[in-house]
Amino acid sequence: MASMISDFDESAHRLPEPKRKKLRKIETVNQDQAKNNQIRWRSLAEQQIYSSKLVEALRHSRRETSPATISTRSRAVRETADKILAIAAKGRTRWSRAILSSRLKQRLKNHKKAKAKSKTAAAGYSRPTNPAIGVQKKKLPALRQRTRVLGRLVPGCRKLSLPNLLEEATDYIAALEMQVRAMAALADFLTGFNAGASNLAESSNRLEMS
Amino acid sequence: MKPIGGIEVRSMNYSHKNVDIGVQAYQLGEEFQMLMAGPPPTGNSFTALLELPANQAMELLHSPGAADSPTELPLKRHHNMSHRSARNHPHDCAPAFPSNAALNEGATKYSGISTAAAFGGGGQDSPESSSSANAMKVKSEPMDSGSSPNSLPHTSNPTVASKNEKHTKRKEREKGKATNKKNKTAANDNSKEGERLPYVHVRARRGQATNSHSLAERARREKINARMKLLQELVPGCSKISGTALVLDEIINHVHSLQRKVEFLSMRLAAVNPRIDFNLDSLFTAGNGSVLESNFPSMVMPLMWPDIQMLGNEQECQQQWHLGSVNQPVWTRQEGHQNLIISENSLLSYDSPANSVSLHSSQQKMEI
Repeated sequence: MASMISDFDESAHRLPEPKRKKLRKIETVNQDQAKNNQIRWRSLAEQQIYSSKLVEALRHSRRETSPATISTRSRAVRETADKILAIAAKGRTRWSRAILSSRLKQRLKNHKKAKAKSKTAAAGYSRPTNPAIGVQKKKLPALRQRTRVLGRLVPGCRKLSLPNLLEEATDYIAALEMQVRAMAALADFLTGFNAGASNLAESSNRLEMS
Repeated sequence: MKPIGGIEVRSMNYSHKNVDIGVQAYQLGEEFQMLMAGPPPTGNSFTALLELPANQAMELLHSPGAADSPTELPLKRHHNMSHRSARNHPHDCAPAFPSNAALNEGATKYSGISTAAAFGGGGQDSPESSSSANAMKVKSEPMDSGSSPNSLPHTSNPTVASKNEKHTKRKEREKGKATNKKNKTAANDNSKEGERLPYVHVRARRGQATNSHSLAERARREKINARMKLLQELVPGCSKISGTALVLDEIINHVHSLQRKVEFLSMRLAAVNPRIDFNLDSLFTAGNGSVLESNFPSMVMPLMWPDIQMLGNEQECQQQWHLGSVNQPVWTRQEGHQNLIISENSLLSYDSPANSVSLHSSQQKMEI
């Protein structure tokens, strides 16, 4: 039984490798690295690592803070998830470093000043801003405009040139997809668990009663 | 050897004059020829030819003096030259040209010496510090000016602009030759000089503008296009769209939708969260009661998995099929939990629920 788990692990590790070897012959060095990163984000091992870290971090945050409303809790969950994602990136990409450094800045601000500032900052992060709505409705060159929007979406990449921005966006999209997959699995597992537990509680109550 | 091709044609013109000089100084240069019989490399035979005249030029210049002192200088020159030629740089013949040209034009002996000295020093530095073609361009310039201090600053400042100019000059020579490969030669250049230089070498294709600005622009555009291709593969539905702006639109929409999904899921997790501690702790503590618990989630979960398929890619689904024998591919999609397979086994064969429980708890321990 334990061997089955280990086999599963090995096969998961073996999966990304043949893809890597095939690609290395074709791509140049830079693109090779980018593809390796993409494969890394798609691999099962990475997702498992992320899920385990996420569960641990969520438990930790759960114990630390227990605010009443769901919105604040969800924001806390989201921030933890992003933080763990940035840690999983091992700081090689710009957006991961930006996420981690921005969290630190927020904590400093919380210690020093009122919490209103952190709320606005967090709200600004989650809310999308329409680039066309501004002081002047000037039509910038279309590419430039979209570059700016993309820079605002990817954390820490506001003033970045287009090729670097595209590279960061590639990695960010791959990481986000992994995050979505892991969180979806976790949420479903937990809701299933809860449903099972509640069913069990009901059935046990009925047994006791009768 | 192709870049040498153009130079070779010109070297033949010079070699005639060199032969004349050689004949004149034959008696004096005989000793040097014997010395040079060893080192001259097999590949560049004409560099040996050209080394001759340089040494003999030095010999000529120093001939009125004693025979001993000039021997030392040309010997050092010879060492430098052979050292350089041993590296197989075709552009080492270039230093010989201007010196010969200066001599043939009847320039003053002193300026000839100074240029030769400059090239001797510059020639040593250039293969070490910058690329070989840069040296070629550098050597061609002082030919007109004939002043030594100009050559050295050129060798010590390899800027991007100079490299582009060098490449344009080389391309202008090579335009007659049709074999200009684009990125493969750039890749080779990268592999050769990648450790030394941080710049990407781009070659112009045949029939394209060789202006330095357009070269830089083209390199930039190619970088951007390469990255856009990667992104197009990543974002579903982008490969059909043509045009950078629309593709960027799609990418922005995709990123935004992913972020919204993360928010939605975090809200879901926050709602579910209060139960986490309770459930996992109960798993560890309870004994037989956990058997039912583990089976219940296993029955509920397969119903949930079809939802997840919408969120992810189909490709991973197909890849995961190769992992062992699985009946329903939906279950083995890359989820971070191995209890999928365990739960599937428990559903199909109810013989050992105890095993599944122990696996379940052990898997939970692994997670945490």
